[in-house]
Amino acid sequence: MAQLLINDRTYTVDADPSTPLLWVIRERLQLTGTKFGCGIAQCGACTIHLDGAAARSCQTTVAQAAGKKITTIEGLHPKGEHPLQKAWIAEQVPQCGYCQSGQIMQAAALLAKNPNPTDEEIVAGMTGNICRCATYVRIKRAIKRAARGV
Amino acid sequence: MTTRFSRREFLRSTAAAGVGLTLRFTIPGGVDEAGAATSFEPNAALTITPDGAVTVHITKAEMGQGVGTALAQIVAEELEADWKDIRIDYPINDPKYGLMLTGGSWSVNWTFDALSRAGAAGRIMLVDAAARYWKVSPDDCTAERGVVRHLPTGRSIAYGDIVAKVPITKTLSEDDLKKIRLKEPSEYRVVGKWIPRLDIPEKTNGRARFGIDTFLPGMVYAKVAYPPTREAGKHTAVDDSAAKKVKGYVATVVTPGLVAVVATTYENAVKARDALRITWDQGPNANVSSESIFAAFAKKAAEDTSALAWLEQGDVKAAMAQAPKRHEATFTTDYVAHMQMEPMNCVVRFADGAYDIYTGSQFQTFAAGTLAATLGVDPSKIRIHQQYLGGGFGRRLEPDIMVETALIAREVKRPVKLIRSREEDLRRDFYRSATLQMLRAGLDGDGKVIAWENTVVASHPGQRWGPDFVDKRGLDQFALNGADHVYDIPNQLVRAIPVATGIPVGYVRAVAPNYTFFAVETFVDELARLAGVDPVEYRLSMLRSAPRLARVLKLAAEKAAWGTPLPPNVGRGVACVSAQEKKSPTWTASVVEAQVDPATGRVRIRKVTCAVDCGIVVNPDGARAQIEGSVLFGVSNALKEYGTVANGALVQSNFHDYQVLRMDEVPDVEVHVVDSREYPTGLGEPGTTTIAPALSNAIFAATGARVRSVPLLPARVLKALQEKA
Repeated sequence: MAQLLINDRTYTVDADPSTPLLWVIRERLQLTGTKFGCGIAQCGACTIHLDGAAARSCQTTVAQAAGKKITTIEGLHPKGEHPLQKAWIAEQVPQCGYCQSGQIMQAAALLAKNPNPTDEEIVAGMTGNICRCATYVRIKRAIKRAARGV
Repeated sequence: MTTRFSRREFLRSTAAAGVGLTLRFTIPGGVDEAGAATSFEPNAALTITPDGAVTVHITKAEMGQGVGTALAQIVAEELEADWKDIRIDYPINDPKYGLMLTGGSWSVNWTFDALSRAGAAGRIMLVDAAARYWKVSPDDCTAERGVVRHLPTGRSIAYGDIVAKVPITKTLSEDDLKKIRLKEPSEYRVVGKWIPRLDIPEKTNGRARFGIDTFLPGMVYAKVAYPPTREAGKHTAVDDSAAKKVKGYVATVVTPGLVAVVATTYENAVKARDALRITWDQGPNANVSSESIFAAFAKKAAEDTSALAWLEQGDVKAAMAQAPKRHEATFTTDYVAHMQMEPMNCVVRFADGAYDIYTGSQFQTFAAGTLAATLGVDPSKIRIHQQYLGGGFGRRLEPDIMVETALIAREVKRPVKLIRSREEDLRRDFYRSATLQMLRAGLDGDGKVIAWENTVVASHPGQRWGPDFVDKRGLDQFALNGADHVYDIPNQLVRAIPVATGIPVGYVRAVAPNYTFFAVETFVDELARLAGVDPVEYRLSMLRSAPRLARVLKLAAEKAAWGTPLPPNVGRGVACVSAQEKKSPTWTASVVEAQVDPATGRVRIRKVTCAVDCGIVVNPDGARAQIEGSVLFGVSNALKEYGTVANGALVQSNFHDYQVLRMDEVPDVEVHVVDSREYPTGLGEPGTTTIAPALSNAIFAATGARVRSVPLLPARVLKALQEKA
C-alpha cells in the first residue's frame, strides 16, 4: 500500500512501489487529464508537478512520488482558470488536445520559476514536450500572454 | 462503399442514407402530448429540444481540426439558430448517417451543401409550424437567431417553444430540398465568423475524454504479444505457465492470429505478457529491409512492361523525341509513421451478442463492417462509441485495434481495455509508403515543357483494404494523387507501379501528394533552372488553366519578398499544389526560406510563407490553425522523419529514434488566406505537401546542391554539396 498526496488529497493505492506513477494516476485513480504518450520521458504528455517542479510521471515511480506533493492538470487551478489555461483558450491553442495537459503543466512550472521568460527560455523550457498537431506557434504565444497577465 | 467519390456522388449517397435529406417527423400520442415529452429531429443532422438547445450531430471525427465547430456553424447558419443554443455530440455509428469517414480534407467539402440544406429544412419546418400556430401565412414570417417572427403583428416564438407547443408537420421532399435557396456568402452571420472552437475549453483542464480515458465497470486490461515481423508472422507455440503466476492474471487468449494476456491492471498485463514464451514462425518477410525494398522499386521501375498508364494525354513519345532539351531525375521518399500522440487503444464490452466499442475512429463505416465480418455478427451489433481522437492523421482509419480488443473481450466475457505501448504503436503502424519516382521531361527551344513522363513506384494501401478501394487494375488513386498536377503540358504520361513489400502501408496525413508533389515540384524547379527562368515565373507560365493557383503562387511570392537579397547560404524555394485532389483542390503555395550549414549539411527553416485559396472559409481561426499545423507537419516530414526497415519490421521504436518536430526547430509561419466565394474545400493536409519540395528548392537556391530524397537529412544535403563540388 502506498499513500500519495495528489491535488491536496491523500489516496491509498495497492500498487507495487516500482509502478510508474502515470498508471496509478490515470488507470487507478482515473485522473485522466495526465496522458500516456511514450513511456520513456521523450514526449511530455504525462507531465505533472512534484513539489512544484515539472516531472514525467511515466518515469516517476510510486516510491519516488510518495511523500511529495503531486499536482496534475486537474489540480492546477480549482476552476481551471490558471492564467495559462485562460491564455490557452484565448489563443485557441489545442488541436487534438492530447498533449495539452502536459504542455500546460510544463509551462506552469516554467512560469513559476521564471515569470517573464524570453522566447529562447520558452523554447528551452518546452522542447521536451511534443505536439504532433504542431500547435507550437500558439503555445509560445499563449505562454507569453499568460506571462503578460492578460 | 467506394473510394471514388465525386461530391455529386457523395450527395446522392447521403440522400439515400438520409443525411439531411430524408425528412420526417412523427408525434407520439398526438398534438397535446407533442410538447414536453419530445424533441424535434428534422433530419439526422440535428435535434432541437423544448429548452431551445440545438444539438448538431457530428458524424466526423474530432481529431484537432475543429470539425465539430465548423459543421455546427454550417447548420446554424441556415437554421437561423442562435449560436449560444448550439451543442454538438458525436453519435454512435448508424447507417442513417451515411458514410462515416473522416479524412482526405473532405469534411467541410463533402458536407457543406448537405448540412446547409439540413439546417434550412429545419428552419422552414419551424416557420411553417409557427405560422400554423398563429393561423397566418408562413410567407409573412421570418426566422432569426432562434426565433420565428410574424412581421405584420410583431409576434414571436422561440424555436424551443415551438418544439414544446406546436406540432411540426411539414415535410419536404428531396426535390423541395434541392430547391431551397441557400444564402449568399454576403448574408452569412455564422459561417466565416471568428467563433471560438467548442472543444477547446475541456482540452485545457484535463476533462476532454479520449478513447484511452474510457472506464467500464469490471474492466480488465489486455496486452497482445505481437510477432517480430510486421506482416505474416505467426505463433506456433504458446507457453503461458509463467504468465499465470503474475499477480492479477485473468486469462490467456490464443486465436489463430492473436496471442494476448488479460490481467486486472495495465502493469500486471504487461508483466504477464512479457512472461509468455512464444515460438514464432516469422513468415516470408523476415529478410525484408529498406535496401531490399528500394532495390525492388528500382528493378520494377526499369521494367517498362509492368508499368500501368494512370494518366495519359497527347503523344509523349513523339514529343520527347523531338525535344531539343531533355532532363531526367529520380526521387525517393522514406517510410513515414503517424506518431499520433495517443497510442492506439480501445475498450470493448461484449454482452447479449453485441459489442460496445469505445475508441476514436476516423472510419466507423469500415470498422463496423470489418468487425461484423470478423466476429460473425450483424453490423447492427457493432456500436462504436466515438471519443475524441488524440491525433488521427489517418492512423485511426484502421480498425485493427478494435478487432483485437473485440476478439479478446469475446473470450473473457468482461469489458477489456487494450492500450498499445508507443513501441507497439510505431511497430504496428501502417506507414506512408516509401517511394521511388522517375521523372523525364522534354523542353522546346524556349525551355517550355512539351513532354512529361513520371513513373511512380509505391505500395498502394487500397490493395490491403479490398477491391472497393482500388480500380480494376489494382491501383489506389490515393497512392497517386498529385502526380496529375495542373500544369499546362500537352503531352503527359504517368505510370503507376504498385509494389507489395511485406511492410503494410496506410494513409498518413496528406497521403500521396506528400511524395508526388515532392517529385513534381522539385523537378519543375530543376526545369526552370534548365530553362534559365525564375521558378515562380516558370510555374506561372504553365498555370493559365489554373488561375486560382497562379494567384496564390503570386501572393506567397510577394509576401515572402521573393527575389530580394539574402545572406550567404540562405535561400528561398517555392512549391505550389492542387492538393488533396485535382477534382476538389485547395490551391496552396508556400515559400520556404532556409539556411544551410555547408560544413554539416544541417538545414534550418527560418520562415514559411503559405498562401491558400480554399473557397469559402467556415471558421477563419480554425482555418489558420489547420494551415499552421499542416505546414509544420510538413516541416517535420521534410526535415526529420523516416522509418528504416530491417528483418521485416521497422527499426525505430519511439520518439527518441523516430524524431518529430519540436519547438526548437519551429520556423516563423505566415499564413495568407484568399477571400473567396467558391465552394469550400479542405485544409487539413494541402499545406503539408508544399514543404518538402519548397525546402529542397530553397537548399538549391542557397547552395546550388540538389537533394532528391525526403527527409532532407544533413547527410543527404552534405552528399549533394560534395557531388556539386
